[in-house]
Amino acid sequence: MTTCDKTRPRLTAYLDGELADDHGSVVRGHLRECAACRQVARDEAALRDGLRLLPPVDPPASLWGGIQARLAAAEVADARRPLWLRVAERWIRWVRTARFAPTMPQLAAAGVFAAAAVTLLTLRAHRADEPPAPVPLPAPPEQIVRPAPSPSPSPSPGPRPALERTVEAPSADDVVADLLAEPARTTESYGRVVGELMTRAQTERARWSDADRSKFDTRVAELRGEIAHGGQPRSVQRTQRVLINYLQETLTHSRDNVMLASGGPQ
Amino acid sequence: MEMLYHQYKRRVFGMAHRIVGGSDAEEVAQEVFVRVFRGLASFRGDSALSTWIYRLTVNAALSHLARRGRRNEVGDDGLTELPAPPATERDSALAARIETALTQLPAGYRAILVLHDVEGLSHEECAAILECRIGTCKSQLHKARARMRELLGANIAERNATDKGGTP
Repeated sequence: MTTCDKTRPRLTAYLDGELADDHGSVVRGHLRECAACRQVARDEAALRDGLRLLPPVDPPASLWGGIQARLAAAEVADARRPLWLRVAERWIRWVRTARFAPTMPQLAAAGVFAAAAVTLLTLRAHRADEPPAPVPLPAPPEQIVRPAPSPSPSPSPGPRPALERTVEAPSADDVVADLLAEPARTTESYGRVVGELMTRAQTERARWSDADRSKFDTRVAELRGEIAHGGQPRSVQRTQRVLINYLQETLTHSRDNVMLASGGPQ
Repeated sequence: MEMLYHQYKRRVFGMAHRIVGGSDAEEVAQEVFVRVFRGLASFRGDSALSTWIYRLTVNAALSHLARRGRRNEVGDDGLTELPAPPATERDSALAARIETALTQLPAGYRAILVLHDVEGLSHEECAAILECRIGTCKSQLHKARARMRELLGANIAERNATDKGGTP
């Protein structure tokens, strides 16, 4: 038997004609027998009709003017906003309204791509810190010495243990020690290059004027002082790179001047 | 732009009027039309234009109430500004009582009653505007009407008939 508790929640749908025939018939049957539910149904129908017949509300005449004033104010505010804020807002609006919604695999792929790009940029930056290869400078004309031919021009067909030896994988301790020794190795490499360039400069300086020699000595002493003063390994290496560049430029310029029959570094 | 305004001004202002009350309806309607005109270019057409405009109206009205902290206390000031309805005396009496009861409803109930019963939108349209499921929409409508019946008192139909008989 249908009770009032089961009927009343269905009254709204019944009065709106949304109940299927069998359900509607059940509700109608209960309403025929139950005066209380009949009264509720009558009230709800009167309420529904009353709401539908509510008179329309006319907007005031000032509404259109107010809208135009607000639009103008919004445009002025747009013009005063900084460009980056407008771009950010446009991007956010595009993301909100975009039909394209990235899936998880697409987001993961984008993340991998970003990580690879960061790694690549980091490696390039690290390489830029390594010492530049010294520019090969020709020896002074009077010092060109042809190398003597090797007494054993053809390699012997004997065993090559160094190349064929099995390379063992370094242990974890070796790797750590290797990483710790890396700054010292880099500094040593810088020192070797500087020494080689200074040897060449000592040979070249005989052709420079006194002023150029003094200028060269002052600059080299200044840079060597900074290196000797120490500090962070990175800072020392950077100063060594400056010294190397200075020596390379000076020697290149000196060589050019020899060829043009004029002397001295700039 | 002006054509769009004239097409929707009554509905937008009417909905705003019945949800937030007469004193703030113009401000809400202005906000809605500014959003419509500025957002028209980004309207994707996923729903009907009317659905989109009604959604903006309901959201703006409910946000306005939330900002003012007046969700349940609109008051009767809006009723004094209602224009005289061009209807019979019986309809006028019932309309006044309904408008009074509407102002005492929670804002959410008010929104669904205005959309479905006053504006005559379907459950599907109401669900799209309120961004809820159709079942939720029907359930809210049932609760809203029940609350209205409580506010109006029993025997709504008979009292209207009495009002009509008592009116000179």
